[in-house]
Amino acid sequence: MSRRAGPIGAAFCPGCGAALDDPAAFVQEFWVGADRHFLCWCVRCELLCTVVIAAQLVSHEPEH
Amino acid sequence: MLSVEKNRRLTQVGPGTPMGELLRRYWWPIATHDMATRVPVKRKLLGENLVLYRDGSGTVGLLAEQCPHRRAALWLGCTEQEGLRCGYHGWRFDAEGNCLEQPGEPADSTFKDRIKATAYPVQELGGLIFAYLGPSPAPELPRYDLFVWDDAWRDIGHAELPCNFLQIMENSVDPYHVEWLHGRYGTFLRELGGKDTPLPVVTKKHVKVAFEVFEHGILKRRVLEGHTEEDEDWKVGHPLVFPHMLRVGAAGLATFQIRVPMDDENTWHVWYQTYRPEGGAPPQPEIPVYEVPLYDEKGEWLRDYVDGQDIVAWVTQGAVADRSKEHLGKSDLGVMLLRKLYAEQIDRVEDGEDPLCTFREPHDVIDLPMEKDKFGSAVEFRQLWTRESSIRYSPIKDEIFALFGDPVPSWV
Repeated sequence: MSRRAGPIGAAFCPGCGAALDDPAAFVQEFWVGADRHFLCWCVRCELLCTVVIAAQLVSHEPEH
Repeated sequence: MLSVEKNRRLTQVGPGTPMGELLRRYWWPIATHDMATRVPVKRKLLGENLVLYRDGSGTVGLLAEQCPHRRAALWLGCTEQEGLRCGYHGWRFDAEGNCLEQPGEPADSTFKDRIKATAYPVQELGGLIFAYLGPSPAPELPRYDLFVWDDAWRDIGHAELPCNFLQIMENSVDPYHVEWLHGRYGTFLRELGGKDTPLPVVTKKHVKVAFEVFEHGILKRRVLEGHTEEDEDWKVGHPLVFPHMLRVGAAGLATFQIRVPMDDENTWHVWYQTYRPEGGAPPQPEIPVYEVPLYDEKGEWLRDYVDGQDIVAWVTQGAVADRSKEHLGKSDLGVMLLRKLYAEQIDRVEDGEDPLCTFREPHDVIDLPMEKDKFGSAVEFRQLWTRESSIRYSPIKDEIFALFGDPVPSWV
């Protein structure tokens, strides 16, 4: 399986780098508008986080 | 979307499966008190076929269905003063599975001492019989408040639902469904039936919901339209009791919805109600038990009341909901949190630890939080719930109305 954001979305734990396709890890896709989110729980470091695959990066420059 | 593999991991409950091993760390209702009699009955729990009986001495036993001798079903058996005798060749077993007698064998044979039926411990509490199918030592049977109050009336409804337990549990952390499934759809059915007044209470819109993992499971909070964070729906909330119950109610009316996985595709649903008006209820001689019907006279799913609507939603998700084809949004965060909690607790068990809500110390009572003024008003909620939940099938429904003395609402 590709390690890019595919069917399982987030392939590695952002905290410790463990593979999230470990059967015991938890990866749940959900949507917020056009953005694809993955709620991830790493079985190795127990980090709970959300990985966002954003349709568009929106930012702004502070006043300068 | 959840991967097919992770969906399987969360929904398979048989022996040797990750979820099955987690769920075996808990005591489960296996029957209502009236089912354990001298007539052995077939029960199913966590994919295991079982036989429940009460022998002549009053001991309740729970054995694997097949006799260790020639594998005939032990529900084809007779209860004796002590134990259950297989109907096929008369082998007799006690509640620990010991073989007490093998009538066809030579009188001096010691064969019976080497035979053991699979037996599981059982305990009676609050009108239910609980069984433990996990490894020894068994934890304490949790004495949740509703099971032990001595100044409450109770009744118990039950039904076997043809779907996996997880989709039923997920409903308990899905507050938005209330205003749609019960509020809008329920009102739509009333409109079709010629009633032009919407149901009260359940039609209120959700402004804000929150979920918090705590010592008993997940605490659910909500703010409804016109309400504030000072209301008890937010300040107190009510819990999903891990791994298998929802606590719901309002002042004086407190209930458990207990989801018992029979196997991967069937769930025994128990609606356990307590009625405890201010000052307590008079003594109740026996806890009434009733079956909750699923179909109307035309064979259609009953859905003209709250629990019926829930049942149809759960069952139509499929025998095991295919979560690889779902599309969750931000309003499904409670569902996601519950799935993650199961995954985390499965991992705990695989690491040899006790999972959440395992009690090792003897205790008198476990008090659970629950709002008194639910959806803004205890009286309005009681008026609704005693008429529009499975309580409408209770044989003591009229006595319950009289016990609380709430006025008959105008929408009836």
